[in-house]
Amino acid sequence: MISVVGLVVGVLLGVIFKPSVPTGLEPYLPIAVVAAMDAVFGALRAFLDGIYSDKVFAVSFVSNVLIAAIIVYLGDKLGVGAQLSTGVIVVLGIRIFSNVAAIRRHLFHA
Amino acid sequence: MSSTPSSERSPAEVGLLTFLAEHSVDEDYAAVAARLPDRMHKRPMVTMVTVAAASLLVVVAASQTSRDAGENQSQRATLVRQLGQQRTDLDAATATVDSLRQEVLGLQASSASQLPSSIRDRLDLLSLRAGTADATGPGVRVVVDDSANPDDSGGRGRVLDTDLQQLVNGLLEAGAEEIAINGERLTTLSAIRTAGSAITVNFRSLARPYTVEAIGDPGSMPARFAQTSSGAAWLDLQQQVGLRFDMTTATSLTLKGSSIPTLRFATTGKEQPQ
Repeated sequence: MISVVGLVVGVLLGVIFKPSVPTGLEPYLPIAVVAAMDAVFGALRAFLDGIYSDKVFAVSFVSNVLIAAIIVYLGDKLGVGAQLSTGVIVVLGIRIFSNVAAIRRHLFHA
Repeated sequence: MSSTPSSERSPAEVGLLTFLAEHSVDEDYAAVAARLPDRMHKRPMVTMVTVAAASLLVVVAASQTSRDAGENQSQRATLVRQLGQQRTDLDAATATVDSLRQEVLGLQASSASQLPSSIRDRLDLLSLRAGTADATGPGVRVVVDDSANPDDSGGRGRVLDTDLQQLVNGLLEAGAEEIAINGERLTTLSAIRTAGSAITVNFRSLARPYTVEAIGDPGSMPARFAQTSSGAAWLDLQQQVGLRFDMTTATSLTLKGSSIPTLRFATTGKEQPQ
């Protein structure tokens, strides 16, 4: 329940204030979004598995976003930005898929 | 069926993708749950703030993307509009150039017609001889072509620029007054050359078969041509190499005039008596 409130609060903040991202950070926004999604689905699965911890959720969220952005930023500096971002997206995508599958199993099995 | 639980198999054992799929939940959750099973950090505030941050991020990214898409669209529309505008301007400029060119031609013609008739006749005659004015008259038409198998006889089976030069020489010897090859008039500055694999006249490439039209006396030209050294050479080419040669007389040929490039070094002097 609390998470739904949080979701609504976040959406409202985004819609009302319409914060604009500084142009330097704009290219890393998509990757940050995917990393955030991975953290959220991981937390959801942990909750359904009964091992949820909000501290771990917060830490994993922040570190996922930071690490993904840093990897892509370094890749841009080294000239392999596209390849590294592809790798990050692949890994995060696999994790998201597998977490969603586990959540689906929880919801529709029992 | 492995004996070890899925969370303990190494990536080397199961492959990278399977490893990723098996370890998709942060191991931290299991570690914290194992260490402190009762106090598992279920503070609702932290959860809410983190979820809010995640959804805020998503909304900002979505709004940024839609804003960028709008801008890109309008930029593209502006560029397309500019392109259309430039094209219209170009068309208008081209039309102006054409009309000015027509005007110049008209003025030239009218200024020429204002000259006394003796000078105008002289001008016509000189243009005819230079090759800039159209020429009409009877003459012969010669069509030459490569042999049926041009790669036989060591590649000699193709008509070369030297063959055409010889043909033109022979026709001049036989009394031709004006000559054109495939519609390209031979002016006082025309050259018959080979450029690459094509023969060019007046810097224009010609395609085979080559039609050489010569204005002259159709009654005597064929016979006189056969008696020249060029005529003999061409007979040789026909018989030994297989080049095709066909000369017919024509009662009326029209050879269009060609343009002559501006003379840069030659200047006029005294005219010789005709």
